[in-house]
Amino acid sequence: MTLTMKTMEQKLQKAGRKHSRLYLFCNFTALMIISAYSALMCSRTVQTVFPSGGDSRKQMYAIFIMTLAGCIVFTIYAAGLFFRHKSAQLGILMALGASRRRLLPGLFREVLFLSGTSALAGILAGFPFVWILWGLFRLILVDSSEMELALDYRCLILSLAFFLLVVCFACFSAWRYLRRTNIMEVIREEHINEPVKELGRWCGPVGLLLIFAGGGMGYFAPRVWEWLFRSYAPAWTSVLYALMFVGLYMTMLYTVVYGWGKYKKNPYKNIISRGMMKFQARQTVNNMLVVTLLIAGGCFAMFYLPATGTSAVLGYLNYTNDYFYQYRADQEVPGEEAVRDLARQYGLSTKDWGSCDYITLGIGGITDIEDGGDRFHVEYLPVMGEAKFLSEEAYSAFTGEKVDVAPGTYFCVNNRQEGNGYLNEGAGDLTNMVTGKSISTEFAGYLHYDLMAGDEKGYYVLDSADYESLEEGLTDDWRGRIIQFNVEGEDSYPFAREFYRRFLESFDESCEYHKSYDRVVKMRAEKAGEAYWMDTEQGEDFRIRYEEWESLRFQTGWEYQPSFRILLLNDYLCRMGVLYMMFLFIFIVCLTTSLVVCYTRCQTIALNNRYIFDDLKKLGAPPAFLTGEVRSQCGSVFRVPALVGMGVMYALFAMILYANDGRVTFYEGIALLICLGMILLIGAVVSEVCRRTVRGIRRQLQDGRM
Amino acid sequence: MLYVKDLHKSYQVGKVRYQVLKGIDFHVAQGEFVAVMGPSGSGKTTLLNCISCYIPFDRGSITVGGTKLAGQNEETLAEIRNTKLGFVFQDFMLLDGLTIRENILIPRIVQGEVKRDAEELADKLTDLFGIGHILDKYPAEVSGGEKQRAAVARSLINNPRIILADEPTGNLDSKSSRAVIETFIEAKSKMDATIFMVTHDSFAASFCDRVILLKDGTVYRQLEKTGDQGGFQDGLLDVIKEMSQ
Repeated sequence: MTLTMKTMEQKLQKAGRKHSRLYLFCNFTALMIISAYSALMCSRTVQTVFPSGGDSRKQMYAIFIMTLAGCIVFTIYAAGLFFRHKSAQLGILMALGASRRRLLPGLFREVLFLSGTSALAGILAGFPFVWILWGLFRLILVDSSEMELALDYRCLILSLAFFLLVVCFACFSAWRYLRRTNIMEVIREEHINEPVKELGRWCGPVGLLLIFAGGGMGYFAPRVWEWLFRSYAPAWTSVLYALMFVGLYMTMLYTVVYGWGKYKKNPYKNIISRGMMKFQARQTVNNMLVVTLLIAGGCFAMFYLPATGTSAVLGYLNYTNDYFYQYRADQEVPGEEAVRDLARQYGLSTKDWGSCDYITLGIGGITDIEDGGDRFHVEYLPVMGEAKFLSEEAYSAFTGEKVDVAPGTYFCVNNRQEGNGYLNEGAGDLTNMVTGKSISTEFAGYLHYDLMAGDEKGYYVLDSADYESLEEGLTDDWRGRIIQFNVEGEDSYPFAREFYRRFLESFDESCEYHKSYDRVVKMRAEKAGEAYWMDTEQGEDFRIRYEEWESLRFQTGWEYQPSFRILLLNDYLCRMGVLYMMFLFIFIVCLTTSLVVCYTRCQTIALNNRYIFDDLKKLGAPPAFLTGEVRSQCGSVFRVPALVGMGVMYALFAMILYANDGRVTFYEGIALLICLGMILLIGAVVSEVCRRTVRGIRRQLQDGRM
Repeated sequence: MLYVKDLHKSYQVGKVRYQVLKGIDFHVAQGEFVAVMGPSGSGKTTLLNCISCYIPFDRGSITVGGTKLAGQNEETLAEIRNTKLGFVFQDFMLLDGLTIRENILIPRIVQGEVKRDAEELADKLTDLFGIGHILDKYPAEVSGGEKQRAAVARSLINNPRIILADEPTGNLDSKSSRAVIETFIEAKSKMDATIFMVTHDSFAASFCDRVILLKDGTVYRQLEKTGDQGGFQDGLLDVIKEMSQ
């Protein structure tokens, strides 16, 4: 065969295939993860279920950005690693007289081929990855009509953008290597480390200080601003949180270079690995920060499951009645006899039947009134929103708890955890919205009845005389009835299902609205000559449609959604399926990405230091010592970000749960315990991957394959 | 053949600038075998890298075969490296993915297609240097001495004006070192090659026609071989001892 530049380059590429393997793997994995994530994120399945503007959707986007950052980092490092291997070859050819112009086409051909094929393969694999994983979720965990995967191929725009980024970066790196004027540097690239800069001992303590200062300032600055200026805090106040990242960076840098005191007793312990790390600390810490973010993001997604699931499921189990529902007085809902008949058809008998009437009134309260721009003021409105009221007699009869309410006062009905944050403790006025009659009132305290506590509008209990005076003149659409009963023996899912169907069908379209829909607010808006926002396009995400009764939005949002324990428990996963599976998917993606970043970084460290390992071997270091050094280095890369990411997220989660109502409830405590179990599980996975990475690197160093 | 005049080169490390070459002057004639010696940090390798056009220099001039290196663009410098200079490195710098024959032919491959005459020259050189039997082997399959002899053959494949060798015996045992030095002598005597070699090894240097001794970035002394090789080595060692005092 005639030897030409092209044939020589092809031969060299073939011989260097083992060095391009990691590059191919990283590109492939990054594109697969990004394609899969964006495919699922943009799918109609997810877009329909995740409310636009909702927290869950924001979390999904935020974690996507973190994942994107992680993927960018490890593709960049993989490209760097590939070119470090390639540079000696390029340098030799340059030294022997090959000009840049001569080398550029071949190098571009190679990087275009490698980055192009691996990235394209990654994109193509992303879709089957989603299909398979989502299919497995449906097969093993949960299946519902909502879970049907409907991809929107516009998500390819994101994948293609990332594809272009990978290819452009590869070409840029190739060009950057060739434009160097110092050929000896190109040849010796593999031997060059980042310059050592003395790191002050103050770095660690100051880093810790910045973490706390950033967190505190970021959290309190908006409140202080609102208090001082009576206007919404500007977006830049969130930038104060950035101090936390600076602090985290400094703390990690200090941890990697000096450690936290454990070397003071024995300054020679791990001195070699710490010495090596001094040369790569900044690069390594950059990686570790990305991994920390990814692990934190993954944990945030994963913690969502127990945080929401535990209190829901435990709450259902602790309900005092199997069936609880309410309806407006103008609706023809199956009565007691009809329900008993239906139960008999399923071989069931009902017991503990209870019912009581309620009225819906306008309730006063304190609210923020926007004054234009970001400014606002706090004002008491005598008629702020709607709320449901029971008389003390009705409440006592219904719940079995004897209650005495003083005239002119009211009680809020909360659960035993006192977890309903919607209840109004500042109402000074109650108004009959038909007649306009109102009375002055005062908050007297809480009553506890779990089944009533889940209502967004809230149940309140009044003195019977006050109740009667306010009830007068109310039309049926402002009155309602609450029903509860139990089933003798074991309940039947088919009965509950059929009863739910009949219950639903008995409502007319005047009740086809979301629990956030407030008729009092609507009246106030109309009085001011404005359209009620829930009736405009803004309210589209809260639109309730009977035909979508199986959807998450309907099941969690319909104003008259009943609580049938057996349905709540059995259909819980189905109801939350898309939400939970998306978060599970995000967790898998984040964890995979972070492990790949760690693996790539460990490979880089080992590659950069392989001469040191060779020298140590020549100096008589036994295999166990060398393994210890590798383990010490890889351990930092895997362990520190995993511990920080998981720890920070756990603390943040505990803080969120605490900040909700100023305490951690029993259910929340259980959720935190489950999260702790998850942390241990994630820790075990990270440790196992770390162990395998150490073993692989030791083998490579042993065989001289690096 | 090679003229170096008032050559200056410095490096910036952090905020400190180190002056490595402080005005070097010398020349090498056609067919001459010259060595550069000196203690570590005297600027030997930097001098060689400047002549090789691997690193730019601050001031002064280097002329190879009538062509001044200063002010040339990258393309021209590459051409000079390819056609006028031949290189031998301490760690051989052979490409692992190519056979010894292909490695030797790299400077020709870089020019374009490898013609029959180049292959014949490669065969001739390898026969001359006693490595004809390893032509189809890969670098990983041959000894250090054989690799270096292959590197010498590679440096000659384009009939360069001058061969620049950086510690060519630094990684070799005495037998292999001897074999490599002999290839240089063969190249000089049979092909009229000009050789400029940086070395620490007084034994290797004693085979040269002349030795330039560097100290602290300047030429300390130049010694010409007038007698036999053993006597020249003794003379060299005396000057080295004098330099270190």
